[in-house]
Amino acid sequence: MEKQYSENYSREELMVIEASRFIKSTDTVILGTGLPVVAAIFAQKTHAPDVNFVVESGSIDPILPFAPLTVADPIIGHMAVKTGSLREVLGCLVQRCLVDIGFLGGAEIDQFGNINSTYIGDPRSPKVRFPGSGGANCIASCVPRILIISVHEKRRFPVRVQFITSPGYIDGPDGRKKAGLKMDQPDIILVTDLCVMQINPDTGRLELTKLMPGITIDKVYENTGFKPKLRGKIEEVEVPTERELKTLRDEVDPDRVYLKGSSNQQKT
Amino acid sequence: MSKVSKKVKVMTAQEAVKKFVFDGSVIGMGGQNISRCAVALAHEIIKQSKKDLTLTGCNLSIHMDLMVGAGLVKKCESGLGGLGRFGATFQFKRAIEEKRMETEDFDHLTMVSRFLAGEMGIPFIPVRGLLGSDILNYQAASTGKKFEIISNPWNQQERVVLVPAMDPDVTIVHVQKADEIGNVLIQGIANHEPELIRASKTTIVSCEEIVSTNFFRSNSDYTTVPYHYIDAVVEQRFGAYPTATYGYYSFDTDHINYYQQCARAGGEEYRRYMNEYIYECETFDDFLEKCGGIKKVTHLEREMLRLM
Repeated sequence: MEKQYSENYSREELMVIEASRFIKSTDTVILGTGLPVVAAIFAQKTHAPDVNFVVESGSIDPILPFAPLTVADPIIGHMAVKTGSLREVLGCLVQRCLVDIGFLGGAEIDQFGNINSTYIGDPRSPKVRFPGSGGANCIASCVPRILIISVHEKRRFPVRVQFITSPGYIDGPDGRKKAGLKMDQPDIILVTDLCVMQINPDTGRLELTKLMPGITIDKVYENTGFKPKLRGKIEEVEVPTERELKTLRDEVDPDRVYLKGSSNQQKT
Repeated sequence: MSKVSKKVKVMTAQEAVKKFVFDGSVIGMGGQNISRCAVALAHEIIKQSKKDLTLTGCNLSIHMDLMVGAGLVKKCESGLGGLGRFGATFQFKRAIEEKRMETEDFDHLTMVSRFLAGEMGIPFIPVRGLLGSDILNYQAASTGKKFEIISNPWNQQERVVLVPAMDPDVTIVHVQKADEIGNVLIQGIANHEPELIRASKTTIVSCEEIVSTNFFRSNSDYTTVPYHYIDAVVEQRFGAYPTATYGYYSFDTDHINYYQQCARAGGEEYRRYMNEYIYECETFDDFLEKCGGIKKVTHLEREMLRLM
Protein backbone atom coordinates (compact mmCIF):
# COMPACT_ATOMS: atom_id res chain seq x y z
CA MET A 1 0.00 0.00 0.00
CA GLU A 2 1.28 3.43 -0.86
CA LYS A 3 2.16 5.67 2.05
CA GLN A 4 -0.29 8.50 2.67
CA TYR A 5 1.97 11.38 3.62
CA SER A 6 0.51 14.15 5.71
CA GLU A 7 0.98 17.87 5.28
CA ASN A 8 -0.78 18.60 8.50
CA TYR A 9 2.03 18.22 11.03
CA SER A 10 4.03 20.55 13.22
CA ARG A 11 7.85 20.63 13.15
CA GLU A 12 7.84 19.56 16.79
CA GLU A 13 5.83 16.47 15.90
CA LEU A 14 8.18 15.63 13.07
CA MET A 15 11.16 16.13 15.40
CA VAL A 16 9.75 13.47 17.72
CA ILE A 17 8.93 11.09 14.87
CA GLU A 18 12.38 11.51 13.29
CA ALA A 19 14.07 10.80 16.63
CA SER A 20 11.99 7.63 17.00
CA ARG A 21 13.32 6.36 13.65
CA PHE A 22 16.73 5.77 15.24
CA ILE A 23 15.19 3.13 17.53
CA LYS A 24 15.09 -0.47 16.33
CA SER A 25 12.99 -3.33 17.64
CA THR A 26 16.12 -5.07 18.92
CA ASP A 27 17.26 -2.11 21.07
CA THR A 28 17.21 -1.72 24.81
CA VAL A 29 16.42 1.93 25.47
CA ILE A 30 16.62 3.85 28.74
CA LEU A 31 13.80 6.37 28.95
CA GLY A 32 14.14 9.82 30.47
CA THR A 33 11.58 12.57 30.87
CA GLY A 34 9.88 14.74 28.29
CA LEU A 35 9.86 14.50 24.50
CA PRO A 36 12.29 11.52 24.42
CA VAL A 37 9.63 9.40 26.10
CA VAL A 38 7.13 10.42 23.44
CA ALA A 39 9.56 9.40 20.69
CA ALA A 40 10.33 6.08 22.34
CA ILE A 41 6.70 5.11 22.91
CA PHE A 42 5.88 6.17 19.37
CA ALA A 43 8.61 3.78 18.16
CA GLN A 44 7.12 0.95 20.25
CA LYS A 45 3.67 1.57 18.76
CA THR A 46 4.91 1.75 15.16
CA HIS A 47 8.13 0.36 13.69
CA ALA A 48 9.79 -1.11 16.80
CA PRO A 49 7.14 -3.18 18.64
CA ASP A 50 9.69 -5.36 20.42
CA VAL A 51 11.87 -2.53 21.73
CA ASN A 52 12.81 -3.05 25.37
CA PHE A 53 12.46 -0.05 27.68
CA VAL A 54 14.10 0.40 31.03
CA VAL A 55 13.44 3.36 33.33
CA GLU A 56 15.75 4.73 36.03
CA SER A 57 13.11 4.51 38.76
CA GLY A 58 13.26 0.72 38.38
CA SER A 59 10.75 -0.26 35.70
CA ILE A 60 12.07 -3.00 33.40
CA ASP A 61 10.48 -3.66 30.01
CA PRO A 62 7.13 -1.92 30.60
CA ILE A 63 4.54 -1.64 27.83
CA LEU A 64 3.38 1.94 28.08
CA PRO A 65 -0.09 2.73 26.71
CA PHE A 66 0.66 6.48 26.59
CA ALA A 67 3.51 8.86 27.47
CA PRO A 68 3.95 9.11 31.25
CA LEU A 69 4.40 12.50 32.93
CA THR A 70 7.63 11.61 34.72
CA VAL A 71 9.91 8.62 35.27
CA ALA A 72 7.98 7.95 38.48
CA ASP A 73 4.48 8.32 37.02
CA PRO A 74 2.46 5.40 38.46
CA ILE A 75 1.91 4.13 34.89
CA ILE A 76 5.67 3.63 34.47
CA GLY A 77 5.55 0.01 35.65
CA HIS A 78 2.64 -0.95 33.36
CA MET A 79 3.04 -4.56 32.19
CA ALA A 80 6.73 -4.46 33.16
CA VAL A 81 8.53 -7.79 33.60
CA LYS A 82 9.92 -6.33 36.81
CA THR A 83 9.49 -3.23 38.89
CA GLY A 84 12.90 -3.06 40.48
CA SER A 85 15.12 -0.32 41.81
CA LEU A 86 17.20 2.55 40.52
CA ARG A 87 20.43 0.67 41.22
CA GLU A 88 19.22 -2.26 39.16
CA VAL A 89 18.61 -0.07 36.10
CA LEU A 90 21.36 2.56 36.27
CA GLY A 91 23.90 0.31 37.96
CA CYS A 92 23.37 -3.21 36.70
CA LEU A 93 22.14 -2.32 33.19
CA VAL A 94 23.43 1.14 32.22
CA GLN A 95 26.81 1.17 34.01
CA ARG A 96 27.55 -2.30 32.63
CA CYS A 97 26.80 -1.06 29.10
CA LEU A 98 23.84 -3.43 28.63
CA VAL A 99 21.67 -0.60 27.31
CA ASP A 100 21.88 0.36 23.60
CA ILE A 101 20.27 3.79 23.47
CA GLY A 102 19.98 6.64 25.94
CA PHE A 103 17.64 9.53 25.28
CA LEU A 104 18.66 12.86 26.78
CA GLY A 105 17.76 16.53 26.70
CA GLY A 106 19.17 19.61 28.36
CA ALA A 107 19.28 23.36 28.65
CA GLU A 108 22.43 23.60 26.51
CA ILE A 109 24.09 21.25 24.01
CA ASP A 110 27.41 22.18 22.44
CA GLN A 111 29.38 21.22 19.29
CA PHE A 112 31.02 18.29 21.14
CA GLY A 113 27.66 16.90 22.22
CA ASN A 114 28.19 17.91 25.85
CA ILE A 115 24.97 18.58 27.74
CA ASN A 116 24.27 21.12 30.47
CA SER A 117 21.28 20.54 32.71
CA THR A 118 22.65 22.16 35.87
CA TYR A 119 23.74 25.82 35.75
CA ILE A 120 23.80 28.94 33.64
CA GLY A 121 26.50 31.30 34.88
CA ASP A 122 29.30 30.57 37.35
CA PRO A 123 28.16 27.62 39.48
CA ARG A 124 29.51 29.41 42.57
CA SER A 125 27.18 32.28 41.85
CA PRO A 126 24.69 30.94 39.33
CA LYS A 127 22.31 32.98 37.25
CA VAL A 128 19.97 30.08 36.68
CA ARG A 129 19.73 26.69 38.36
CA PHE A 130 18.27 23.77 36.39
CA PRO A 131 17.29 20.44 37.98
CA GLY A 132 20.71 18.76 37.67
CA SER A 133 21.93 15.44 36.32
CA GLY A 134 19.42 12.88 37.49
CA GLY A 135 20.38 9.72 35.63
CA ALA A 136 21.77 11.65 32.66
CA ASN A 137 25.47 11.73 33.54
CA CYS A 138 25.66 8.00 34.01
CA ILE A 139 23.72 7.41 30.77
CA ALA A 140 25.95 9.80 28.78
CA SER A 141 29.03 8.12 30.27
CA CYS A 142 28.10 4.49 29.62
CA VAL A 143 25.60 4.12 26.75
CA PRO A 144 26.96 3.59 23.20
CA ARG A 145 24.31 5.63 21.41
CA ILE A 146 22.87 8.88 22.75
CA LEU A 147 19.85 10.53 21.17
CA ILE A 148 19.20 14.15 22.10
CA ILE A 149 15.97 15.95 21.29
CA SER A 150 15.89 19.71 21.59
CA VAL A 151 14.04 22.68 20.21
CA HIS A 152 16.51 24.57 18.03
CA GLU A 153 17.51 27.93 19.52
CA LYS A 154 20.84 29.71 19.23
CA ARG A 155 21.29 30.11 23.00
CA ARG A 156 20.71 26.38 23.49
CA PHE A 157 23.51 25.41 21.09
CA PRO A 158 26.66 27.31 22.14
CA VAL A 159 30.25 26.54 21.13
CA ARG A 160 30.82 25.29 24.70
CA VAL A 161 28.23 24.56 27.36
CA GLN A 162 28.63 26.55 30.58
CA PHE A 163 28.61 23.39 32.69
CA ILE A 164 29.18 19.82 31.50
CA THR A 165 26.54 17.80 33.35
CA SER A 166 26.68 14.90 30.88
CA PRO A 167 29.79 14.46 28.76
CA GLY A 168 29.75 14.26 24.99
CA TYR A 169 33.22 14.31 23.43
CA ILE A 170 34.20 16.94 26.05
CA ASP A 171 36.77 18.96 24.01
CA GLY A 172 37.59 16.89 20.94
CA PRO A 173 38.00 13.38 19.52
CA ASP A 174 40.14 12.13 22.44
CA GLY A 175 38.24 14.01 25.12
CA ARG A 176 36.46 11.00 26.57
CA LYS A 177 39.52 8.78 26.43
CA LYS A 178 41.63 11.41 28.23
CA ALA A 179 38.97 11.72 30.92
CA GLY A 180 39.06 7.93 31.40
CA LEU A 181 35.60 7.05 30.13
CA LYS A 182 35.48 3.43 29.11
CA MET A 183 32.79 4.12 26.49
CA ASP A 184 35.14 6.39 24.56
CA GLN A 185 33.46 6.71 21.16
CA PRO A 186 29.68 6.73 21.53
CA ASP A 187 27.40 7.76 18.70
CA ILE A 188 25.60 11.01 19.47
CA ILE A 189 22.62 12.15 17.44
CA LEU A 190 20.89 15.49 17.92
CA VAL A 191 17.39 15.88 16.50
CA THR A 192 15.91 19.38 16.53
CA ASP A 193 12.90 21.02 14.94
CA LEU A 194 15.25 22.35 12.21
CA CYS A 195 17.66 19.52 11.49
CA VAL A 196 19.51 16.36 12.46
CA MET A 197 23.18 16.39 13.52
CA GLN A 198 25.41 13.43 14.25
CA ILE A 199 28.79 13.22 15.95
CA ASN A 200 31.90 12.53 13.88
CA PRO A 201 34.13 10.46 16.21
CA ASP A 202 37.23 11.54 14.26
CA THR A 203 36.67 15.21 15.08
CA GLY A 204 34.49 14.82 18.18
CA ARG A 205 32.09 17.36 16.69
CA LEU A 206 28.47 17.35 15.59
CA GLU A 207 27.89 17.48 11.83
CA LEU A 208 24.74 18.40 9.94
CA THR A 209 23.21 15.36 8.25
CA LYS A 210 19.56 16.18 7.52
CA LEU A 211 17.22 19.14 7.29
CA MET A 212 13.56 19.38 8.21
CA PRO A 213 11.36 20.03 5.13
CA GLY A 214 11.55 23.66 4.06
CA ILE A 215 14.55 24.47 6.27
CA THR A 216 17.75 25.77 4.68
CA ILE A 217 21.35 25.28 5.83
CA ASP A 218 21.57 29.03 6.38
CA LYS A 219 18.58 28.92 8.68
CA VAL A 220 20.36 26.26 10.77
CA TYR A 221 23.55 28.35 10.86
CA GLU A 222 21.59 31.45 11.91
CA ASN A 223 20.13 29.56 14.83
CA THR A 224 23.21 27.69 16.02
CA GLY A 225 26.02 29.08 18.19
CA PHE A 226 28.60 26.87 16.47
CA LYS A 227 29.03 26.06 12.78
CA PRO A 228 28.45 22.36 12.14
CA LYS A 229 30.22 20.82 9.14
CA LEU A 230 28.01 19.31 6.46
CA ARG A 231 28.16 15.54 6.16
CA GLY A 232 27.90 14.40 2.54
CA LYS A 233 24.69 15.11 0.72
CA ILE A 234 22.23 16.72 3.12
CA GLU A 235 18.93 14.87 2.92
CA GLU A 236 15.49 16.02 3.87
CA VAL A 237 13.74 14.40 6.83
CA GLU A 238 10.89 12.19 5.65
CA VAL A 239 7.51 13.69 6.44
CA PRO A 240 5.13 11.59 8.57
CA THR A 241 2.26 9.58 7.20
CA GLU A 242 -1.33 10.25 8.21
CA ARG A 243 -1.28 7.04 10.14
CA GLU A 244 1.88 7.95 12.06
CA LEU A 245 0.41 11.28 13.04
CA LYS A 246 -2.78 9.66 14.21
CA THR A 247 -0.83 7.23 16.39
CA LEU A 248 1.25 10.06 17.83
CA ARG A 249 -1.71 12.28 18.63
CA ASP A 250 -4.40 9.81 19.62
CA GLU A 251 -2.36 7.13 21.38
CA VAL A 252 1.03 8.39 22.53
CA ASP A 253 0.08 11.88 23.70
CA PRO A 254 -3.74 11.86 23.79
CA ASP A 255 -4.02 14.64 26.38
CA ARG A 256 -1.53 16.83 24.48
CA VAL A 257 0.74 17.00 27.48
CA TYR A 258 3.83 17.14 25.31
CA LEU A 259 2.87 18.20 21.81
CA LYS A 260 0.60 21.14 21.34
CA GLY A 261 0.78 21.66 17.61
CA SER A 262 -1.42 19.71 15.28
CA SER A 263 -1.82 22.09 12.38
CA ASN A 264 0.45 23.99 10.02
CA GLN A 265 1.25 26.71 12.50
CA GLN A 266 4.89 25.78 12.86
CA LYS A 267 5.54 24.93 9.25
CA THR A 268 7.87 27.23 7.41
CA MET B 1 22.41 -3.92 73.64
CA SER B 2 21.74 -4.81 70.03
CA LYS B 3 20.78 -1.86 67.86
CA VAL B 4 18.32 -4.12 66.09
CA SER B 5 14.95 -4.16 67.78
CA LYS B 6 11.92 -6.33 67.28
CA LYS B 7 9.69 -4.30 69.54
CA VAL B 8 6.54 -2.51 68.45
CA LYS B 9 7.52 0.76 66.76
CA VAL B 10 4.13 2.24 65.95
CA MET B 11 3.81 5.91 66.85
CA THR B 12 2.39 9.15 65.51
CA ALA B 13 4.27 11.30 63.01
CA GLN B 14 4.63 13.90 65.75
CA GLU B 15 6.25 11.42 68.13
CA ALA B 16 8.50 9.94 65.45
CA VAL B 17 9.85 13.30 64.25
CA LYS B 18 10.36 14.46 67.84
CA LYS B 19 12.29 11.31 68.65
CA PHE B 20 14.44 10.89 65.54
CA VAL B 21 14.85 14.23 63.71
CA PHE B 22 17.08 16.93 65.17
CA ASP B 23 18.40 20.34 64.19
CA GLY B 24 21.34 19.65 61.88
CA SER B 25 20.19 16.14 60.88
CA VAL B 26 21.16 14.66 57.53
CA ILE B 27 17.83 13.40 56.22
CA GLY B 28 17.48 10.68 53.59
CA MET B 29 14.54 11.41 51.33
CA GLY B 30 12.45 8.61 49.85
CA GLY B 31 10.14 8.91 46.86
CA GLN B 32 10.71 10.22 43.37
CA ASN B 33 9.07 13.28 41.84
CA ILE B 34 5.33 12.45 41.80
CA SER B 35 5.47 9.05 43.47
CA ARG B 36 5.54 8.06 47.13
CA CYS B 37 7.10 11.22 48.54
CA ALA B 38 6.97 11.22 52.34
CA VAL B 39 4.83 14.35 52.42
CA ALA B 40 3.10 13.70 55.77
CA LEU B 41 6.46 13.27 57.49
CA ALA B 42 7.87 16.36 55.76
CA HIS B 43 4.85 18.37 56.99
CA GLU B 44 5.58 17.23 60.52
CA ILE B 45 9.26 18.20 60.29
CA ILE B 46 8.17 21.63 59.09
CA LYS B 47 5.67 22.00 61.93
CA GLN B 48 8.34 21.08 64.46
CA SER B 49 10.69 23.51 62.71
CA LYS B 50 13.79 21.31 62.69
CA LYS B 51 16.59 23.53 61.39
CA ASP B 52 19.91 23.40 59.51
CA LEU B 53 18.93 20.21 57.74
CA THR B 54 20.85 18.47 54.97
CA LEU B 55 18.58 16.61 52.57
CA THR B 56 19.96 13.75 50.54
CA GLY B 57 18.51 11.35 47.99
CA CYS B 58 18.30 10.89 44.24
CA ASN B 59 15.40 12.92 42.89
CA LEU B 60 14.52 15.45 45.57
CA SER B 61 10.98 16.53 44.88
CA ILE B 62 8.00 18.34 46.38
CA HIS B 63 8.69 17.27 49.98
CA MET B 64 12.22 18.71 49.67
CA ASP B 65 10.83 21.90 48.15
CA LEU B 66 8.43 22.35 51.08
CA MET B 67 11.24 22.01 53.62
CA VAL B 68 13.48 24.38 51.66
CA GLY B 69 10.58 26.83 51.33
CA ALA B 70 10.09 26.69 55.10
CA GLY B 71 13.70 27.85 55.47
CA LEU B 72 14.90 24.71 57.27
CA VAL B 73 17.47 23.38 54.81
CA LYS B 74 21.11 24.41 54.67
CA LYS B 75 22.24 21.91 52.03
CA CYS B 76 20.92 19.44 49.45
CA GLU B 77 23.12 16.58 48.32
CA SER B 78 21.49 14.65 45.51
CA GLY B 79 21.20 13.71 41.86
CA LEU B 80 18.53 16.24 41.01
CA GLY B 81 15.85 18.62 42.29
CA GLY B 82 12.73 18.79 40.18
CA LEU B 83 9.17 17.73 39.49
CA GLY B 84 9.40 16.34 35.95
CA ARG B 85 6.69 17.67 33.67
CA PHE B 86 5.32 19.80 36.54
CA GLY B 87 8.44 21.93 36.30
CA ALA B 88 11.28 22.99 38.55
CA THR B 89 11.24 22.73 42.32
CA PHE B 90 11.00 26.50 42.52
CA GLN B 91 11.91 27.07 46.16
CA PHE B 92 15.01 24.90 45.68
CA LYS B 93 15.92 26.77 42.51
CA ARG B 94 15.48 30.16 44.11
CA ALA B 95 17.37 29.24 47.29
CA ILE B 96 20.37 28.21 45.16
CA GLU B 97 20.21 31.24 42.87
CA GLU B 98 19.99 33.55 45.89
CA LYS B 99 22.81 31.63 47.58
CA ARG B 100 20.73 30.86 50.64
CA MET B 101 21.37 27.12 50.37
CA GLU B 102 24.32 24.93 49.41
CA THR B 103 24.07 22.02 46.99
CA GLU B 104 26.37 19.13 46.39
CA ASP B 105 25.55 17.72 42.98
CA PHE B 106 26.10 14.15 41.92
CA ASP B 107 24.10 11.94 39.58
CA HIS B 108 21.52 9.32 40.53
CA LEU B 109 23.77 6.28 40.15
CA THR B 110 26.49 7.91 42.24
CA MET B 111 24.01 8.69 45.01
CA VAL B 112 22.54 5.18 45.06
CA SER B 113 26.08 3.75 44.99
CA ARG B 114 26.92 5.89 48.02
CA PHE B 115 23.88 4.49 49.84
CA LEU B 116 24.95 1.00 48.76
CA ALA B 117 28.36 1.58 50.35
CA GLY B 118 26.62 2.96 53.43
CA GLU B 119 24.34 -0.05 53.81
CA MET B 120 27.27 -2.45 53.54
CA GLY B 121 29.40 -0.54 56.01
CA ILE B 122 32.22 0.09 53.53
CA PRO B 123 33.78 3.57 53.40
CA PHE B 124 33.66 4.33 49.66
CA ILE B 125 32.69 2.88 46.29
CA PRO B 126 33.80 3.32 42.66
CA VAL B 127 31.55 4.54 39.84
CA ARG B 128 32.21 4.76 36.11
CA GLY B 129 30.33 7.99 35.49
CA LEU B 130 31.24 11.59 36.45
CA LEU B 131 34.60 11.45 34.57
CA GLY B 132 35.06 14.48 32.33
CA SER B 133 32.06 16.31 33.78
CA ASP B 134 31.91 19.57 35.71
CA ILE B 135 30.14 17.69 38.51
CA LEU B 136 33.70 16.90 39.65
CA ASN B 137 34.96 20.46 39.16
CA TYR B 138 32.67 22.16 41.65
CA GLN B 139 31.75 21.41 45.23
CA ALA B 140 30.01 23.06 48.14
CA ALA B 141 32.20 24.93 50.63
CA SER B 142 31.05 22.66 53.46
CA THR B 143 31.88 19.42 51.63
CA GLY B 144 35.19 17.85 52.57
CA LYS B 145 36.78 15.62 49.98
CA LYS B 146 34.13 15.08 47.33
CA PHE B 147 35.80 12.32 45.28
CA GLU B 148 39.06 10.69 44.26
CA ILE B 149 39.99 9.39 40.80
CA ILE B 150 42.10 6.24 40.89
CA SER B 151 43.42 3.60 38.51
CA ASN B 152 41.93 0.17 38.95
CA PRO B 153 44.63 -1.67 40.96
CA TRP B 154 44.06 -4.77 38.80
CA ASN B 155 44.06 -2.90 35.48
CA GLN B 156 46.09 0.28 35.50
CA GLN B 157 44.58 1.50 32.19
CA GLU B 158 41.15 1.77 33.73
CA ARG B 159 40.10 4.83 35.72
CA VAL B 160 37.22 5.09 38.17
CA VAL B 161 35.86 7.73 40.52
CA LEU B 162 35.68 6.87 44.21
CA VAL B 163 32.88 8.49 46.19
CA PRO B 164 32.31 8.30 49.95
CA ALA B 165 29.58 6.19 51.56
CA MET B 166 26.48 8.10 52.59
CA ASP B 167 24.66 7.06 55.74
CA PRO B 168 21.98 9.63 56.63
CA ASP B 169 21.09 10.28 60.27
CA VAL B 170 17.43 9.59 59.58
CA THR B 171 15.47 8.59 56.49
CA ILE B 172 11.82 9.39 55.82
CA VAL B 173 9.91 7.13 53.43
CA HIS B 174 6.30 6.45 52.59
CA VAL B 175 5.38 2.88 51.66
CA GLN B 176 2.32 0.78 50.98
CA LYS B 177 2.49 -1.67 53.86
CA ALA B 178 4.42 -2.21 57.07
CA ASP B 179 3.85 -4.25 60.21
CA GLU B 180 4.15 -2.90 63.73
CA ILE B 181 7.77 -4.00 64.18
CA GLY B 182 8.86 -2.40 60.89
CA ASN B 183 8.89 -4.99 58.12
CA VAL B 184 8.24 -2.98 54.97
CA LEU B 185 6.66 -3.68 51.59
CA ILE B 186 7.26 -1.25 48.72
CA GLN B 187 5.07 -2.05 45.71
CA GLY B 188 5.84 -0.90 42.18
CA ILE B 189 9.07 0.95 41.48
CA ALA B 190 11.42 1.06 44.45
CA ASN B 191 13.71 3.91 43.28
CA HIS B 192 16.78 4.29 45.52
CA GLU B 193 14.88 3.47 48.68
CA PRO B 194 16.01 -0.08 49.57
CA GLU B 195 19.64 1.09 49.68
CA LEU B 196 18.74 4.39 51.35
CA ILE B 197 16.75 2.77 54.16
CA ARG B 198 19.40 0.18 54.93
CA ALA B 199 22.17 2.81 54.87
CA SER B 200 20.46 5.16 57.33
CA LYS B 201 21.27 5.27 61.02
CA THR B 202 17.52 5.49 61.71
CA THR B 203 14.42 5.32 59.50
CA ILE B 204 10.88 6.58 59.95
CA VAL B 205 8.43 4.85 57.67
CA SER B 206 4.91 6.06 57.09
CA CYS B 207 2.55 3.56 55.47
CA GLU B 208 -0.87 3.30 53.92
CA GLU B 209 -1.73 0.40 56.19
CA ILE B 210 -0.28 -1.59 59.03
CA VAL B 211 -0.55 -5.32 58.40
CA SER B 212 0.17 -8.25 60.67
CA THR B 213 3.67 -9.66 60.97
CA ASN B 214 2.16 -12.90 59.74
CA PHE B 215 1.51 -11.17 56.40
CA PHE B 216 5.31 -11.02 55.97
CA ARG B 217 6.09 -14.34 57.64
CA SER B 218 3.78 -16.19 55.27
CA ASN B 219 4.92 -14.23 52.18
CA SER B 220 8.53 -13.46 52.98
CA ASP B 221 9.33 -12.46 49.39
CA TYR B 222 7.06 -9.44 49.97
CA THR B 223 9.53 -7.93 52.42
CA THR B 224 11.39 -5.08 50.73
CA VAL B 225 13.37 -4.43 53.92
CA PRO B 226 13.03 -6.30 57.20
CA TYR B 227 12.42 -4.64 60.58
CA HIS B 228 16.14 -4.46 61.41
CA TYR B 229 16.47 -1.08 59.69
CA ILE B 230 13.26 0.58 60.87
CA ASP B 231 12.81 2.69 64.00
CA ALA B 232 9.33 4.15 63.70
CA VAL B 233 6.15 3.06 61.90
CA VAL B 234 3.54 5.74 61.30
CA GLU B 235 0.18 4.74 59.88
CA GLN B 236 -0.99 7.53 57.60
CA ARG B 237 -3.50 6.92 54.85
CA PHE B 238 -2.71 9.08 51.79
CA GLY B 239 0.59 10.00 53.44
CA ALA B 240 2.23 10.72 50.07
CA TYR B 241 -0.54 13.04 48.85
CA PRO B 242 -0.42 15.03 46.55
CA THR B 243 2.05 12.51 45.07
CA ALA B 244 0.93 8.98 44.17
CA THR B 245 1.20 5.68 45.99
CA TYR B 246 1.16 2.81 43.53
CA GLY B 247 -1.77 0.48 44.09
CA TYR B 248 -3.58 2.98 46.30
CA TYR B 249 -4.08 6.38 44.67
CA SER B 250 -2.78 8.53 41.84
CA PHE B 251 -1.15 11.95 42.13
CA ASP B 252 -3.30 15.08 42.33
CA THR B 253 -2.51 17.17 39.27
CA ASP B 254 -4.57 20.11 40.55
CA HIS B 255 -2.90 20.38 43.92
CA ILE B 256 0.61 19.90 42.50
CA ASN B 257 -0.07 22.62 39.94
CA TYR B 258 -1.43 24.88 42.67
CA TYR B 259 1.64 24.27 44.83
CA GLN B 260 3.89 24.97 41.84
CA GLN B 261 2.08 28.23 41.20
CA CYS B 262 2.60 29.34 44.82
CA ALA B 263 6.20 28.10 44.96
CA ARG B 264 7.03 29.91 41.75
CA ALA B 265 5.42 33.14 42.90
CA GLY B 266 7.15 32.97 46.30
CA GLY B 267 6.68 35.78 48.82
CA GLU B 268 3.21 36.31 50.25
CA GLU B 269 1.57 33.74 47.98
CA TYR B 270 3.94 31.02 49.16
CA ARG B 271 3.59 32.01 52.81
CA ARG B 272 -0.17 31.79 52.41
CA TYR B 273 0.14 28.26 51.04
CA MET B 274 2.39 27.18 53.91
CA ASN B 275 0.09 28.69 56.51
CA GLU B 276 -3.11 27.35 55.08
CA TYR B 277 -1.93 23.87 54.15
CA ILE B 278 0.69 23.13 56.80
CA TYR B 279 0.92 25.38 59.85
CA GLU B 280 -2.84 25.73 60.30
CA CYS B 281 -3.46 21.98 59.91
CA GLU B 282 -3.16 20.24 63.22
CA THR B 283 -2.93 16.82 61.58
CA PHE B 284 -2.23 15.51 58.08
CA ASP B 285 -5.86 14.40 57.96
CA ASP B 286 -6.84 18.07 58.39
CA PHE B 287 -4.63 18.88 55.39
CA LEU B 288 -6.33 16.14 53.34
CA GLU B 289 -9.72 17.53 54.37
CA LYS B 290 -8.70 20.98 53.13
CA CYS B 291 -7.57 19.53 49.81
CA GLY B 292 -10.98 18.05 49.08
CA GLY B 293 -11.31 15.28 51.66
CA ILE B 294 -13.02 12.00 50.94
CA LYS B 295 -14.32 13.15 47.57
CA LYS B 296 -10.87 14.03 46.33
CA VAL B 297 -9.08 10.94 47.61
CA THR B 298 -11.80 8.64 46.30
CA HIS B 299 -11.30 10.19 42.89
CA LEU B 300 -7.54 9.58 43.12
CA GLU B 301 -8.15 5.97 44.19
CA ARG B 302 -10.33 5.45 41.11
CA GLU B 303 -7.63 6.98 38.91
CA MET B 304 -5.16 4.45 40.29
CA LEU B 305 -7.59 1.57 39.73
CA ARG B 306 -7.92 2.65 36.12
CA LEU B 307 -4.15 2.27 35.69
CA MET B 308 -3.97 -1.19 37.20
